[in-house]
Amino acid sequence: MPDLCLYFQVHQPNRLKNYSFFDIGKDPFYEDDELNRDILSTVSDRCYLPANNLFTDLIEAHPGKVKLTMSLSGVVLEQLEHHRPDVLASFQDLVATGSVELLCETYYHSLCYRASGKEFTRQVEKQMATIKRLFDKTPTVFRHAELIYFNELAAFVEELGFKAQLAEGIDRVLDGRSPNHLYQSPNVESMKTILRNNILSDDVAFRFADPHWEGYPLTPKTYAGWVKASGGDLAGIFLDYETIGEHIERSTGIFKFWKELPAALEAEKIAMTTPTEALENYESAGKYDCHEITSWADTAKDISAWRSNPMQEEAKAKILSLEKAVKSHDNPELLHQWSKMQTSDHFYYMCTKGGTDGEVHEHFSPYASPYDAYLNFMNALSDLQVRVGL
Amino acid sequence: MLGWEFPPLINGGLGIACLGLGRALAKHVDLTFILPQTDPAYFVDQVNFIGLNHLTEQDLESMSQTEELRTFAEVDLITANLQPYLDAAPETSGRVSTERTGSETITQYEKFKEETGLALFADKGTLYGEDVNARVVAYARAAAALAENRDFDLIHAHDWMTFLAGMEIKARTGKPLVLHVHSLSYDRSGPEARGWVFEIEKQAMEAADLIIPVSHYTGTICSGHYGIKESKIHPVHNGADPVDAFRAEKTFPEKLVLFLGRVTGQKGPRFFLEIAAKVLEQNRNVRFVMAGTGERLRELIEYGAFRDVGDRLHFTGFLTRDKVNDLLSMTDVYCMPSVSEPFGLSALEAVQFDIPAVISKQSGVAEVLTKARKADYWDVEKMAEHIIELIFDDEAHAEAVTASREDQRNCTWEQAALKVTQLYTSQLPAEA
Repeated sequence: MPDLCLYFQVHQPNRLKNYSFFDIGKDPFYEDDELNRDILSTVSDRCYLPANNLFTDLIEAHPGKVKLTMSLSGVVLEQLEHHRPDVLASFQDLVATGSVELLCETYYHSLCYRASGKEFTRQVEKQMATIKRLFDKTPTVFRHAELIYFNELAAFVEELGFKAQLAEGIDRVLDGRSPNHLYQSPNVESMKTILRNNILSDDVAFRFADPHWEGYPLTPKTYAGWVKASGGDLAGIFLDYETIGEHIERSTGIFKFWKELPAALEAEKIAMTTPTEALENYESAGKYDCHEITSWADTAKDISAWRSNPMQEEAKAKILSLEKAVKSHDNPELLHQWSKMQTSDHFYYMCTKGGTDGEVHEHFSPYASPYDAYLNFMNALSDLQVRVGL
Repeated sequence: MLGWEFPPLINGGLGIACLGLGRALAKHVDLTFILPQTDPAYFVDQVNFIGLNHLTEQDLESMSQTEELRTFAEVDLITANLQPYLDAAPETSGRVSTERTGSETITQYEKFKEETGLALFADKGTLYGEDVNARVVAYARAAAALAENRDFDLIHAHDWMTFLAGMEIKARTGKPLVLHVHSLSYDRSGPEARGWVFEIEKQAMEAADLIIPVSHYTGTICSGHYGIKESKIHPVHNGADPVDAFRAEKTFPEKLVLFLGRVTGQKGPRFFLEIAAKVLEQNRNVRFVMAGTGERLRELIEYGAFRDVGDRLHFTGFLTRDKVNDLLSMTDVYCMPSVSEPFGLSALEAVQFDIPAVISKQSGVAEVLTKARKADYWDVEKMAEHIIELIFDDEAHAEAVTASREDQRNCTWEQAALKVTQLYTSQLPAEA
């Protein structure tokens, strides 16, 4: 019977304001503070605060049984500190229960690894320092933004000192094996890979509120049964925290589901685990040889959400190419602004995919179209170029 | 005079040209403009306006007594494309009884407007769109009825939207028909375009007594592409109203090259992008701006990214006049690579801002800006060469500005109006 490893991602980007050609060289502020504050507040009220309260209560009601794993991007922590210190305090209280393991990621939720290992390392170190400062914790397990994973990255993350990295369980890489085990990349010495069970995860992240789904309505009891039946050592249920109350509205019964799940798991004798405990309890079941770059996004589970058209390619390449010029200025504010423009969401908004993937992109985008997202980003980028003398 | 767009309700250069010419002509002739829409608060010295959105009860009364469009019968035989619109055209059942009074009369006029298509002009700013053909028919019907009850010497119609009305009035009154050609379906849709617009243009030009294209370039298309007798074609170049030109400092160090116009195939935006990429290969210290919107916009945005010029080629979308002027005040070189441009007023406007223009040989304005740098619209190399010379050779830039100032002196609406007046005289019977 598998343990349940429940991991929530918390992230909000710094969305850009309407930045026109006429602003280039004139306006050094790119972000829509008001919009970002409003969205943060809405999500806080619908999700962060009530979900934090729910899990704090559950941890107290089931001592030593309810365990969570969380990762909060540096940029959302910064927004919380600035706009909603009350919500940050609620996260701090939740972590202070001692039943939450915090993971590390890049501070800026960025896509910079391939362009610059140096920049990637800087962002990881900044995130470690932030987690230490705000939560007094030192993460030992890593997750890349959007659960991006591949062999080469795993080797680099191991060198940074992490004991495990999270990844999407990709069927074509698993090749018939179960995602419910620890695995290892062929490129690492000892670091483990903990995989996301995409069926069980998407049941609660996407399908939960779909009345056309055969599993609808999903009860905690049924779900616990499915977890039990999935076998192996641990089932990785990885999802955005915002699915609770924001992407999936309260009226669907999502809060009730999570509230009742611990009891249903106990009834099936399923234990909850953190990644660090899993590393103590289980061995690697074999190699997870992932050459391609995978992620948890879209149906393709690759990086096409951020890199599938020339606009995304150009925008990403051009912002990352400013590294040397920006860093030569020794200006912390400039460096910070540049780094925030590396956040993956900017490129996500530029995606021109259609179908259900396209609908999801549209749901998150503040722009009327991916073309507007690109033009706006490129104008701000041009201003940054002017400021660094390129 | 039969017009379609007119300030303050304009969509492109047609309205501006009609105003410029109309204002200058009014000093020489008695001028009445029939327009689909007018703004009652908008006046031009010595010009009478009749807006189909502001007809008086007398006008409506007299219109209801007139006959059906005669041209329909003829057009009907020539093109099947018109048939659907004929079906949509109402029968003469919309006549207004003169015996009704008070509020009932108003209701009857509303009904009359619905039935005759006049209601199509009630909403401001929707002169084109899906209903454009129905509007053209309604306009012709109304303009012909209005003209029949007026005393005038000559019909002057601007572009295909009013040509049907022009033909109808000529058929009813026998007055000479002058067609002013600002743009043809050849320009907008390419040489292979056929259909109702092409047919109206061709038929009207055949029926006309005099054709005034806005350039020799467009004249050659009237004669060559539409097969119209050259002896009827007498080009008159547009003028340009003086503007309050000013210069402003750029907020970035790079030079600025501007494309201003609708982002449609006719304007050659793809060539502009190729030119930008070519220039940037040689020198990164240039920014290109494509101001305007159109159906090719998205495709071009993505293509710009593919060519890796997205941080040097900026798309502004639609801009207000003030924003356009702000942009012109910063611009170093104007580039107009139009595939087919009857005139190209925007190049003259740029010149008024002391911006040298690099323009395609397939444009009317190339005949006026005699010393401007020119190339075939497809000759990206040559265009890029011109631009690089003008932005990095200060002497060449200064010379080009001086030359264009001289060219500009010959481009006034007064001169255009004088030529048009002379052409009018040639059409009228010699005074006794």
